[in-house]
Amino acid sequence: MRQVPALPVVASFAERLLALDLPDLPPSHRHDAVEFVARRVDGLPSFTRFGVLVLGTVFRTLLSLPGGWPLARIVMRLPLPLVAEYPRLVRSLSFAYIWEHWPHTSPTGAQPAEAAA
Amino acid sequence: MSAQPATNTMHADVLIIGSGAGGATTATVLAEAGFDVLVVEEGDWVEQGSVVPFSLDQMDRQYRAGGVTVALGLPSIAYTEGRCAGGGTEVNSGLYWRPPGDVLERWRDQFRIDDFDPDDLLAIAAEVEHEISVGPVPGPYSEPSEVLRRGADALGWRNGEIPRWMTYPKGAPATAGERQSMTRTYLPRAMRAGARIATGCRVDRLEAQGGKAVRAITTLADGSPGVITFRHVFVCGGAIQSPALLQRSGIRGHIGRSLAVHPTVKLAARFADPINVPDDVPVHQVKEFAPHLSFGGSASNPGLVALNLLDQWPTFKRAVTDWQHISVYYAAITSEGRGRVFSVPRLRDPIVTYGLTGRDRELLRSGMARLTLLMLEAGALEVFPSFKGAPIVRNRKDVATMQRSFAATKASVMTVHLCSTVPMGEDTDRCGADSFGRVHGQSNVYVNDASLLPTAPGVNPQASVMAFAIRNARHFVATGGNRA
Repeated sequence: MRQVPALPVVASFAERLLALDLPDLPPSHRHDAVEFVARRVDGLPSFTRFGVLVLGTVFRTLLSLPGGWPLARIVMRLPLPLVAEYPRLVRSLSFAYIWEHWPHTSPTGAQPAEAAA
Repeated sequence: MSAQPATNTMHADVLIIGSGAGGATTATVLAEAGFDVLVVEEGDWVEQGSVVPFSLDQMDRQYRAGGVTVALGLPSIAYTEGRCAGGGTEVNSGLYWRPPGDVLERWRDQFRIDDFDPDDLLAIAAEVEHEISVGPVPGPYSEPSEVLRRGADALGWRNGEIPRWMTYPKGAPATAGERQSMTRTYLPRAMRAGARIATGCRVDRLEAQGGKAVRAITTLADGSPGVITFRHVFVCGGAIQSPALLQRSGIRGHIGRSLAVHPTVKLAARFADPINVPDDVPVHQVKEFAPHLSFGGSASNPGLVALNLLDQWPTFKRAVTDWQHISVYYAAITSEGRGRVFSVPRLRDPIVTYGLTGRDRELLRSGMARLTLLMLEAGALEVFPSFKGAPIVRNRKDVATMQRSFAATKASVMTVHLCSTVPMGEDTDRCGADSFGRVHGQSNVYVNDASLLPTAPGVNPQASVMAFAIRNARHFVATGGNRA
């Protein structure tokens, strides 16, 4: 059975989440991190992957609505165990990727001058 | 010495599925006894040194699902499985613990393991220790390891160096060990005795004919189907994959119902001086509260430090720039909870669940508090516990505040020790396999990996897995392998 690729499902949400958490992260780094997250989601065990893509679709739909991002942020704060796992997964994967590849990234995502040059 | 890619049609007298601590030792014993042995491994053969330990690259190449696997529950528990030649032995911490004698006696008595003398098993463990070069590190300990020793000594808590199965180049530091994993030890030995090892081969199910398993239906790395015929089969895919394969093959009984793990919570501790060792783990563990509670150190590369600050990022994030001064530590518990592994038709991978008990949650809370205290005693300037809403801990008063706000459901709980999904013994109400790993109700299907351990042993389980696997394989040889 062919898999639905994760990138279109997770990209918009992951981009927004990283822009919120790490506003100074260079766009190229953010793009790389989002692609990494999508690759990892593609490799998840089947049931987990299905759940992540369902949640990803819900968040992608929210983001497509007017005022969708503030709504998505409210949903993320709700104490709903499975829903909370989705942003946590995206953050975990992207943060691990960013600091492993660019260990001197600042807490806002900014790169040291020599790295940015 | 390396493996060969699997082909579409293969045959063996004995098929061994999985090449980790259980599969590699089983292959060695059987091949040296003259059996025609084929080991199939789903992952690749990755030479040591070709990947950085604990890196994302290693997770891509040597872990199942890139290391992103989870047992569903409240909280869900992240776990990892090796998926490469050598299995978990290629990627774990390399720390070695003999199975505790009292645990072995309890297993024998409660699960009715026949013909089992704990002293015999410990004698096998001694052989294993020689084969994989178990010993202390040469020279001084790494600074993250010294932190555990220093903090525990200050509190008067029992602690010590855990030996590792490593060899060290002459004059090299403690962090330069070369792990004597299965691709360095038992797998080459099995191949010298004639065993064949085929990589890139997933076994989808076993098929039976006339009441006996006779062939394995496989999928190769290129997606093409395959088949392996055999007389006997040993399933050694680990505590998640082994029961899942048996279930997919229609084998019932006590399979996959009693997953046991050592749940773990973590913290990051910041010190005045640089401390971080990105590609190794501390060799000290604190055992003052064992077997219920143990403390040790985790891999701490910058990505993993960031991961451990994530649960409370708004207040913890400033520490990430100081990762060279930070190391990550864990508190692991012996859980009374249980999990399940179950295969669902048409789904490629099993669903895994795990439920902590109230006692487990309290133990995790107390573990986090005690570990935090230990870090302060070791000289930590700040401690960052990994749970949502955690405060930064700078003194003893903060520890009490932290303990009050902790809840297991808010924490990033994980585990690397998975076992007990096909417990061994003659009590068929609670055991999936007999006293030597033969699956109850089957004549030629055996399990020989961590699945057999009746409960979580409370220590790193690799030594227990290897010793039991060798014992069971020797029994198979002694009985001629002729039950089929």
